[in-house]
Amino acid sequence: MGLESNLKEGSLVTARLEDLVNWARRNSTWPLLFGLACCAMEMIAAGTARHDIARYGSELFRATPRQADLIIVSGRVSNKMAPVIRRLHDQMLEPKWVIAMGICASAGGPFNNYAIVQGVDKIIPVDVYVPGCPPRPEALLYGMELLRQKQTGEHFSKYVFTPEQPGVPAEAEQAMTGLAPRIG
Amino acid sequence: MPLLNVSPVDRLYETLPNLDDINIPARAPQPDGETEDTQAIAAAFGNRILAAGLQHDLPFVHVAPADLRDLVIWLRDGDLAYTTLIDITSVDLSELPDPDPDVRFQTVYLLRSLSRHKALFIVCPLPGGDDAEAPSLAGQFPGAIWPEREVMDLMGIRFADHPDPRRILMPAAWPNHPLRKDVPLGGEDVPFSLTWDHPEFDGLGDQILDPESLPPDLPPGMNRQNMILNMGPHHPSTHGVLRLVVELDGERVVNVDPDLGYLHSGFEKTGEHRRYKDFVYYTDRMDYLSAMNNNLGYVLAVEGMLDLEIPARAQAIRVIMSEMQRIASHLFWLSTHVLDISGNGMSLLMYATRERERILDLFEMVCGARLTTSYIRIGGVWQDLPEAFLGALSEFCDLFPGRIDEYRDLVKDSPIWRTRLEGIGMVGREDALAMGLTGPMLRGSGVDWDLRRDQPYSGYEQYEFDVPTSDRGDGFGRYEIRMEEMRQSVRIIRQALDRLPDGLYRSDDRKVNPPPRTELDVSMESLIHHFKLFTEGFKVPPGMYYHGIEASKGELGFFIYSDGSGKPYRLHVRGPSFNNLYAIGGMSRGLMLSDIITNIGSIDIVLGEVDR
Ligand code: SF4
Repeated sequence: MGLESNLKEGSLVTARLEDLVNWARRNSTWPLLFGLACCAMEMIAAGTARHDIARYGSELFRATPRQADLIIVSGRVSNKMAPVIRRLHDQMLEPKWVIAMGICASAGGPFNNYAIVQGVDKIIPVDVYVPGCPPRPEALLYGMELLRQKQTGEHFSKYVFTPEQPGVPAEAEQAMTGLAPRIG
Repeated sequence: MPLLNVSPVDRLYETLPNLDDINIPARAPQPDGETEDTQAIAAAFGNRILAAGLQHDLPFVHVAPADLRDLVIWLRDGDLAYTTLIDITSVDLSELPDPDPDVRFQTVYLLRSLSRHKALFIVCPLPGGDDAEAPSLAGQFPGAIWPEREVMDLMGIRFADHPDPRRILMPAAWPNHPLRKDVPLGGEDVPFSLTWDHPEFDGLGDQILDPESLPPDLPPGMNRQNMILNMGPHHPSTHGVLRLVVELDGERVVNVDPDLGYLHSGFEKTGEHRRYKDFVYYTDRMDYLSAMNNNLGYVLAVEGMLDLEIPARAQAIRVIMSEMQRIASHLFWLSTHVLDISGNGMSLLMYATRERERILDLFEMVCGARLTTSYIRIGGVWQDLPEAFLGALSEFCDLFPGRIDEYRDLVKDSPIWRTRLEGIGMVGREDALAMGLTGPMLRGSGVDWDLRRDQPYSGYEQYEFDVPTSDRGDGFGRYEIRMEEMRQSVRIIRQALDRLPDGLYRSDDRKVNPPPRTELDVSMESLIHHFKLFTEGFKVPPGMYYHGIEASKGELGFFIYSDGSGKPYRLHVRGPSFNNLYAIGGMSRGLMLSDIITNIGSIDIVLGEVDR
C-alpha cells in the first residue's frame, strides 16, 4: 500500500534531499546495545517479539558506538559510570540522539544520594525523556515516536562543518565539557 | 572536597515536640539466654568470649578481634562444623547513645553449618576509633575477600593481612567512606523555584565527580608480559555494567579481575534514611529480575524483628509470587545464556520471553507493575488476588512444563551447547563451600542445600518439592539444575493454588498496617493509627537481625541493626550475585577467552545486586 504500488515502471519522484535523508534516518535509527539497570530489562522486552521494536526499524542494537545512532540511557547513572557514558556518547558519529529512559536517567529518581548522578542530562544532551520506573516497553516505543518527529525536522546545516567555524581548541573543549583530554 | 557539601538542604517544618520514648535511640542489647552452640563456645573459650546468647532468637557471640581467627578456625574444623562464611558486614556505632570513642566500629560475621542447619553470628568490636583494624579471614575463607573489601571501601575499616586491599565499589579517587555516619547521604535537592537564577540551583551537578582519564592500574598479580584485555563496562555479554580486566596468554586466560561498582546506587545508605516500610520499594530495584524475592527477603527481616504474625493466606500468596518470580528470572537467564553461547541465537530469547511476558502479565494483574512490583509488604501483601488471577495462573501452570521441554529440546543436544558448557567453569565442592557460594552455583557443585527446605520460611515446609543437585560442577550441571528448578517451582505453585487458604491477605495489626479506608470515617483510633503510620512509620525494637531467603540466584539476606527508631540504623544486603561472582576467577583460569562469557552467564549475575 505504500508509494511503490502507485508508481509505474520507471517513474520519478522528486523530494527535498533533506526530507529524504531524514525519512531514511528516522526509519532506521539503530540504538546502542547498552543497558544500565532495571530499565534495560524493559528495553530488552521492547526488542522481543511482543513489542517488536523492529516495526520501527530499530531492532538492530549495535554493540559499538561507532555504528549506533541512538543511545538509550536505560537506568541509573552512577558516578563511576558517568565518564564511561560520556565517552560512549563522544564516540558516536553525528547525527546522534539520546533517550533518557526512566526517572533515574531523567532526574535521579529514587536515588537522591551520593552515588547517582541526578539525571544523565548533566553529562550528555538528551532529546527525549521517557518517564516511568521503569517505563513500559510501549512508553519507550512512544518515546521513539517522539524522537522520529524530532528527526523529521532536522537540517543538514546542523551537522555540516564549515571552515568559518574554527575547530574547537583542546582547552576550550575541556572548559566546555569538563572532561580532561584523553591520555594515550 | 566538594562532595561533602552537597547533601539536600534541610527544610524546617513546624512539628509537635518530640514525643518519642526517651530510651530511643538505643544500642542493641547484649545477647541473653543460650543455645547448645553458645554453651559449647563459652566452654571452649571461657572469658575470651565477651558475650554470647540470643538476640531476636538468633545466636550471637561477641569476641575481641585478637581471638576472632582462633574462634572461626575452631568453629570451622570442630564438631560444630560451621563450614561456610555467608556474609561479613560492619556497623558504625558512633551515632548511638553513649558512644565509646575507642570502639567506633564493629564487624559482624555470619557463619553457617550446612550439615547441622544452624547459623551463628559473630560480632567483633574493633578498638582504634576512626582508624580501626580487623583481622582478615581471607586465609580461612576465600569467600571473605570480597565482603572484606566491601567493608573496607564503604566503611573504612582496614583488614590486617588482606591479600588485595583495594576499593571494590567506589571509584579509586573517592574522597570518603560513604557508609560512615558522619558522611552525609548526598544527593541534590531540586529547589521549588520557577527561575533558573535561584541560588539554590547553583549546587546542581556538583556531586558529579570530575572525570579523570588516568592510565588504569594493573590489578595485582597480573604480568605485563601477557596480553591485558579490558572487557566492559560497556560490553554486550557482561550482563550489565561489569568490567573485567583479563590477562591472556594467547587466548588462554591467566587471570581475571572483575571491577565492580559501575551500578553502585547507595542502597544501604539510602535505607538508613528511609522508614522501614518505605524501603520495600527500593528492594525491587536491586535484583531487578526478581523483585518479588527481594521484597520477600526484606519484609521477612523486618517482620522477624517485630515478631509479626503473618496470615496463612498472605504466606501462600507470597510463596506463589516468589516461585513465579523464580521462573521468570530463570527464563531470562536461559535466554541470555543461549544468546551468549550461540553468538546470535535469538530464537530462544523470543520463545522464553513469550512465557516471561505471561508471568509479567500476571504480576500486572495483582499489582499493576511488571518489574518493580513492591507487592509483598510488611505484614502481608498489598492487596488480595483478583478473581481472574487464579484461573490465569493455573492455565499457565498447565502450559509451562511442556514449554520447558521445548526449550530443552532446542538446546540439549546441540553440539555447540554441549561443547561450550561441559567441563567449562568447574567449581569443586570444597571450593564452593569455602567461597560462600549459594543457590544453583552451590547445588551445581554437589552440595544439597536449599534454604526453602532446610530453614523454611513463609510456610515452605508445607509444600513438597525436590531440590535438584548435580555433581558435575560445570556449566552444564548448573543448566540442568535451573531447568529442573523451574519444574519444581510449577509444582510448588500448583500445591499452593490447590490449598490457598481463605482469610486475611495482610496482618490486621494496626501498628504496622494502615486500616482500610472505610474504617477511617468511623473510627478515631483508626485515623490516629493511619496518621502515625504515614507520618512517622512504626518503630522496631532495638537489636540486630538477619534473614536470608533462597532467591533465584542464591541466598539473599538482609541484616538490620535497629536503634529502636522508625528507620534502620544500619541496613546491609547480602546479594547472592556478589558472592557468586567471586568464583569467576577460579572458574575461568586456563580456559579460553570466550569461556569467560559462558561463565558469567552460568553464574547468573544481576549487576544491580552485585553493586547495590
Ligand atoms: S527508573 Fe526505576 S526501573 Fe529505571 S533504572 Fe531507575 S529505579 Fe530502575
